[in-house]
Amino acid sequence: MTTAIMSSAELTAEYINPVITATKSVFETMLGCTPKRTGLHLKDAKAAPYAISAVIGISGRAAGTIVVSMTEQAAIAVLDRFLDIQADEINTEVCDAVGELTNMIAGAAKAQLERYELSISIPNIVSGPNHNIHYTSEVKPICIVYESEIGSFSIEVGFSNLK
Amino acid sequence: MKVLLVDDSGTMRTIQRRCLSKLGIEDVTEAEDGQQALEFFERQQFDVVLSDWNMPVMDGLTLLKEIRQRNKDIPVVMITTEAERARVVTAIQAGCSDYLVKPFTPDGLKEKLEKWITINT
Repeated sequence: MTTAIMSSAELTAEYINPVITATKSVFETMLGCTPKRTGLHLKDAKAAPYAISAVIGISGRAAGTIVVSMTEQAAIAVLDRFLDIQADEINTEVCDAVGELTNMIAGAAKAQLERYELSISIPNIVSGPNHNIHYTSEVKPICIVYESEIGSFSIEVGFSNLK
Repeated sequence: MKVLLVDDSGTMRTIQRRCLSKLGIEDVTEAEDGQQALEFFERQQFDVVLSDWNMPVMDGLTLLKEIRQRNKDIPVVMITTEAERARVVTAIQAGCSDYLVKPFTPDGLKEKLEKWITINT
C-alpha cells in the first residue's frame, strides 16, 4: 500500500484559483472596485516594494501561509474605502483595516477548499519599507500581483507538503 | 435596545456600529474578544449579541456556548469569514440564531440586523 503525498507545489497551485476568486469578491463587495491581476510567478527572493503586509497562517489537513502586501497608498485607501477615514500614514487603524481585508480573502478562499478542513489564524501585520516575509525551505510560494483603483498589491500563497 | 458587538477588528466593529446607528440603535457595547464580551454579558442585560468567530483569548464559538449556558433565548448572530457548511452547522448546533458571512454588502448587513431588531422591539 502506498501513501499519497501531495507536494507543496500542488497544494499551493490548488489554492491559487480560490484566492483569485476571493480577492475579486472581497474587493468588489467591501472596497467597491475590481482588482486587475497583472502577474503570477514564484515569489522572488528579494523584498517587494511594499510598505505593509498582513500574514495569515493556515492549518488543518494542509498547512500554509497567505500574505497580502500593499503600498502605503493602497493601505491608506483600504481604510478610506472601509470607513471613509483618511489617514496620513500607516497607523493602527490602517493596519487593522488591511488585516481585516486579508482575513476576508483568506476566509473566502478556504471556503472553496472545504475538503481540507482549513482554519486560519488571526492576521499579523508587518510594516516598514523593504520588508520581506520568509518561508520554510520546502515552501515555494506563488505571488499574484495586482493593480487596482486603490493601488498596487500582491498576494503570496505558500503551502508545506501534505502527507 | 442594547447590543453587544464582538469583533477583534476595530474596522469591523465600526462598520457594524454605524449600521446599527442608522437603524436607530445607539446603545452598543463593544468587545475585542470573547472573554471581554462574556464579562460584559455577565454584568449587563443585552437584547442581541453580534459576534465574530476567529478572535484571540476566546473565540466566537466558545463565547456562543458560554452565552447559551447562561441564556437560552438571547439572539446571537455570528458575523464571520467562516463560510464552510460544516462551520455553519457547528454554529447552529451550538445555538446561534443567525449567520452572516464576510464579506457582506451594506444592504446585506442592514437586512440581517433589521431582522433581529424588528423581532426584539
